[in-house]
Amino acid sequence: MTGITGSTALWYASRATGVVTLLLLTAVVVLGILVNRQGRLPGLPGFAVTGLHRNVSLLAVAFLAIHVVTAIADPYVTIGIAATVLPFASPYKPLWLGLGAISLDLVAALILTSLARGRMSRRAWRAIHWLGYAAWPLAVVHSIGSSADARNGLVLGVLVGCVLATAAALAWRLSHAAREVPRAGRAAAALSRMSARKAGL
Amino acid sequence: MTDSLTLPHPAMAHGGPPSGLPGPGLLPGAGTVPVDLRAHLAMYGPLRTPGGRDGLLREVAGAGLTGRGGAAFPVARKLAAAAEARPAPVVVGNGAEGEPASSKDRSLLWLSPHLVLDGLQLAAGAAGSRSAVLYVPRNERLHGRLAGAIAERAAAGMDAARVELVTAPDRFLAGEESALVSRLADRPALPAYRPVRGLPRLASGRPALVQNVETLAHLALIARYGAAWFRKAGTEAEPGTMLATLHLADGRTSVVEVPLGAGLAGLLGLDRGPGPAEAGAAGPDVPSAFGPVQAVLVGGYHGAWLPAAEAAALPLANAALRPLGALVGAGVLAALPADRCGLAETARVVRYLALESAGQCGPCFNGLPRIAAAVGHLAGPRPDPRARADLERWAGLVAGRGACHHPDGSVRFIRSALRVFAAEAGLHEQGQCSGTDPRPFLPVPATSPATEEDWS
Repeated sequence: MTGITGSTALWYASRATGVVTLLLLTAVVVLGILVNRQGRLPGLPGFAVTGLHRNVSLLAVAFLAIHVVTAIADPYVTIGIAATVLPFASPYKPLWLGLGAISLDLVAALILTSLARGRMSRRAWRAIHWLGYAAWPLAVVHSIGSSADARNGLVLGVLVGCVLATAAALAWRLSHAAREVPRAGRAAAALSRMSARKAGL
Repeated sequence: MTDSLTLPHPAMAHGGPPSGLPGPGLLPGAGTVPVDLRAHLAMYGPLRTPGGRDGLLREVAGAGLTGRGGAAFPVARKLAAAAEARPAPVVVGNGAEGEPASSKDRSLLWLSPHLVLDGLQLAAGAAGSRSAVLYVPRNERLHGRLAGAIAERAAAGMDAARVELVTAPDRFLAGEESALVSRLADRPALPAYRPVRGLPRLASGRPALVQNVETLAHLALIARYGAAWFRKAGTEAEPGTMLATLHLADGRTSVVEVPLGAGLAGLLGLDRGPGPAEAGAAGPDVPSAFGPVQAVLVGGYHGAWLPAAEAAALPLANAALRPLGALVGAGVLAALPADRCGLAETARVVRYLALESAGQCGPCFNGLPRIAAAVGHLAGPRPDPRARADLERWAGLVAGRGACHHPDGSVRFIRSALRVFAAEAGLHEQGQCSGTDPRPFLPVPATSPATEEDWS
């Protein structure tokens, strides 16, 4: 190949947004794991992690949309609009693109239920939100399978980094589950932490 | 909160039936002793339900009675839902009154227990239920009186539904409907995500009809005197009377029955004083019969501060208060004297609200303490000028993010303080403070929850 030309621009755009989407989805999953329990990031108030989780999700969805649209529009391979949501309907790499389609459907379910969160039962929302844990590994396998680049070099490094980050967050979560502050003492613990920080200024 | 009851002040200026209202009110006249069953029946007459269940539902709908626990939900709609619910709901009189600044429910339970018990029986009748619960604060004297009143009625054979007394923990959120439902199942009184529609359900699957105790007392009066009588007080949109807890500028507290739409100026003894044009020249303080007032807290600790001059022109009605970000709520009104620091008062209350978080939702148990620490910082000398902008931003991250409305109500209170005490915050940034009296004004309990047992 000789760099980006008019005919390869869409192909490169689809590849690039795919990689960025995977990075962002990984960030969403890691933040989600931290949000669910009393996790915090250095320099960020605990509850701001919630806001970050939501905003990064939104960004990931934007990149995901570009990734899918450019992949369909790219004349190099024939995927078809239906195959983006119907698993294994694509003539090109049906298995690997099918996993991507399932992942896309799950992400769509997460978005729709989160928009309607106020109008549905908490339990149903929560159950559907847990599907996020299935969407991410599907997206990882989709990346490895559908892209030859992902099996070596820089893109492989990105993939490994994403997997390691998620694994680390899960490990942290499981090891901290045992050390949680009981409900009734949480606000008091947070307040004494905040007051100590103010006094230290 | 306290072991002794907070009762209406003996010198209360507005006690007894409100002027212009026909018939007896919710509370016996000032200085009178609590009523026993005989005195109760002599005063109000026997309990009748004209037209049976349908007749009562019609009268309540015609009266336009709304819940007096703070949410002002139409009672007729709740009763109609309860009448259709299967199995028949447990009817609960909610007298938990977790709000430290309110003492109207315990005053009513102490002074007019039979009015509340009448209402509980009426609600049970409307719901076709034979089991009722009275959910009241932990207080031995109050329990003794209520147990005595229930026994008196049982001896007279006048009640169809059996009434059980259940103790509410001394928590701000103990009276929140889902927390109450949890407490009835012998679990800690912690709020839960509410069902999308319909009545809340107990662990047994049985629905619960929960009404504030004052609402039940109104029900007892409407059954006796009718919808037209009820509508003689109040406004067209918000009819009837309500109990209000007044914190006057001289530090006295009283519980009074007032018609909805009554002027805040009359209730708190505020002068209407100079018009708005002159008010600017005279400063923000408004003279009152009990000393100069700088601001009025309307609707309790989930309510809002209003500048005194603005409050003096307003009625006690949601139609007028809601556009200003305030609400009638459970009828708490506090006139903050001119010699206190509004930010210091707000900081004490916000700290309390943060500690009263049930610790279940991250935005609440992480966000409110962070906000409380920042308000405390703002109330101190030479706060960081960026603190106010930080507070506004964090408030936006917390509102609407809880299972219950604790974050939303707390944020309403905090935002109103940032607005009303903006000049005071400017003074603090220059190292000054307009407060000269360091004594706390608004009541805040000293203890905070530490274990799950504190919630049962």
